[in-house]
Amino acid sequence: MMDEGVHEAVSLHRRLMRAMLVTTLLALTLTGVVLHHLFAEHVMEQSRRTLAGQLEQVLTQLEFDPQGRPLIAEGRLGNPRWQQVFSGEYWQVEAADAHSAEAAPEPLRSRSLWDFTLQLDAPQQEKDGLGQYRIHGPQSRPLQALARTVTADFADGGRWRVVVAADVSETLQAIERFSGLLAASLGVLFVLLLAASIAQVRIGLRPLARLRRALDDVLDGQASQVRGQFAQEVQPLVTQFNTVLARNAEIIYRARTQAGNLAHAIKTPLAVLQQAAQDAETSGAAVPVALINEQVGIARRHVDWHMARSRAAAAAGMPGQRTPLAPVLEQLLRAMRLIHAERALQIALEPAPDAAFAFAGEEQDLQELLGNLIDNACQWARTRVRVGCTVQDEGAARLCVTIDDDGTGIAAEEREQVLARGVRLDESAPGTGLGLSIAQELAGLYHGSVRLDDSPLGGLRVTVCLPLASAADRR
Amino acid sequence: MRVLLVEDDPRLREQLARALRAAGYAVDEADNGRDALHLGLEEPVDVVVLDLGLPVLDGLSVLHRWREAARTMPVLILTARTSWHEKVEGIDSGADDYLTKPFHTEELLARLRALIRRAQGVASPVLEYGSVRLDTRSGQVTVAGQPVTLTGHEYRVLEYFMHRPGAMVSRTELTEHIYAQDFDRDSNTIEVFVGRLRKKLPAGLIQTVRGMGYRLGGA
Repeated sequence: MMDEGVHEAVSLHRRLMRAMLVTTLLALTLTGVVLHHLFAEHVMEQSRRTLAGQLEQVLTQLEFDPQGRPLIAEGRLGNPRWQQVFSGEYWQVEAADAHSAEAAPEPLRSRSLWDFTLQLDAPQQEKDGLGQYRIHGPQSRPLQALARTVTADFADGGRWRVVVAADVSETLQAIERFSGLLAASLGVLFVLLLAASIAQVRIGLRPLARLRRALDDVLDGQASQVRGQFAQEVQPLVTQFNTVLARNAEIIYRARTQAGNLAHAIKTPLAVLQQAAQDAETSGAAVPVALINEQVGIARRHVDWHMARSRAAAAAGMPGQRTPLAPVLEQLLRAMRLIHAERALQIALEPAPDAAFAFAGEEQDLQELLGNLIDNACQWARTRVRVGCTVQDEGAARLCVTIDDDGTGIAAEEREQVLARGVRLDESAPGTGLGLSIAQELAGLYHGSVRLDDSPLGGLRVTVCLPLASAADRR
Repeated sequence: MRVLLVEDDPRLREQLARALRAAGYAVDEADNGRDALHLGLEEPVDVVVLDLGLPVLDGLSVLHRWREAARTMPVLILTARTSWHEKVEGIDSGADDYLTKPFHTEELLARLRALIRRAQGVASPVLEYGSVRLDTRSGQVTVAGQPVTLTGHEYRVLEYFMHRPGAMVSRTELTEHIYAQDFDRDSNTIEVFVGRLRKKLPAGLIQTVRGMGYRLGGA
């Protein structure tokens, strides 16, 4: 059990750490990806806007000569970098259909392109007739390009694609630098969070480690209870556990006492038998059969009495129990009819218990209590036994069971004595006293009562009143 | 009458078997639940004495299995457990009576006699047919008030007939119920017992049904 406890504690620690690790990693990765994406988007969008402006500029200067070939007055374009060879900013006007290709097979391009032709492939994105491309420029530099296809504004002018492009290698490098920095920062953050989590779990679980030490003390026998103040979340557990410990200690104490009592009680008949055996051996006289029977009977009654008591003592006092009366009585009467079948007794249940009648206690205790009383009545009855159930109000509502027989009854002055005598008096007939006093003992444990009266059937009436379980106790 | 005695304590089983044989029963013995289950299912026993705490298979389970298999012979539970909870459980499992250890052998025998009688629908412990009177309590047989001396086997045969007045009883049935399982059976000896019984009892009391067996009738 202890090993299991240790294993649980370790796994609690690991579970918390694992959960922390997984959630932190997930959150940080997500943050990294989102930030990187947003930054790249923002930077590229800026470059795109610049390109869009430049494209507009080229388009305004686009004219055609009488042969239908495109013309751009370079001097009127304001951007000096278009004049500088391989400056990183370019434009190009190329034929976009067969007709225009015939007019101008070579594309018209900025001076900065020199003899390099921009080769557009499939656009990355296309919006409002504006295509966006990622291509390789002169010296294999990465370019971002924007292109629009226009139709020459004279008859049969053909379709032309106007392209502007800019070198984005620096932008891409900037994005890469940003991402590296981002990853490094997030990594540092992760380590810090991890350290914080470890500290949190350690500190958070510290009361459990203390609880374990306190439990170890209990197991080692150094303490009978779990001592110390614990965290609010743990304290109720500790309190409950202490209650269980106290209850166990009490049960063990009672069991020890009872085992001791039983052993002591049985030793007397054993001593008598031993003496008788010795006498028979030395004197050679016959074995005293009557004496053996008598002493065995006494030993047996001691055993029955202590068994019944110990059962009751172990079960009584557990709260929230509820045992419906009717099924228990029906079972018992079925058993009685068989066990006493030879005597052909009339065993009646009237008034029968209402289905809602329930005893606020253990089923087995109810069976023992009523079983002993009804069996007693059956042994003494001449022809009839009647069992009835009512609910009576004695301050609190009580469940009362009356058991009548038509036997010889017990004289009024002897009744008290019968209930009190228990195992100590000898029995002259089966069932005398023992059943009644066990029932009395059991009822007492539940703060119930057993009363003896004259029965209208002519014999003894036993009335046992017990706590009634309310319908609200139903589990 | 044939009784199945199921008890795992060898000394107690031996004592009980001796007492039961002395009381005129043919006794089959079992010291564990599995053997008890088998004997109860296969052999035509008239009554069972069943201990609850048994090795291999516990007594209540054995009882459950017998009742499930529609074996209706009366069963008396014998146990050291005294609580009513356990008695009720035993009886709800199909037991017919309950006796707690320690007990007097006389009480056990009386309860067995009563169980056998009730199982045959006979109310009184004294069986009477015509002028023949058989007291199951004392094992005494009288004809018209005069005591008749019978051997153990003769008594068992007569007792079996007296529990079933007027009913046809085959030789095989008679053999199965008056001998224990491990006994060397010979159905011819049944004829010998019946022949001897006829000499001691009024003429025509035990009738032969040709090709079928015997019946208690006439007289």
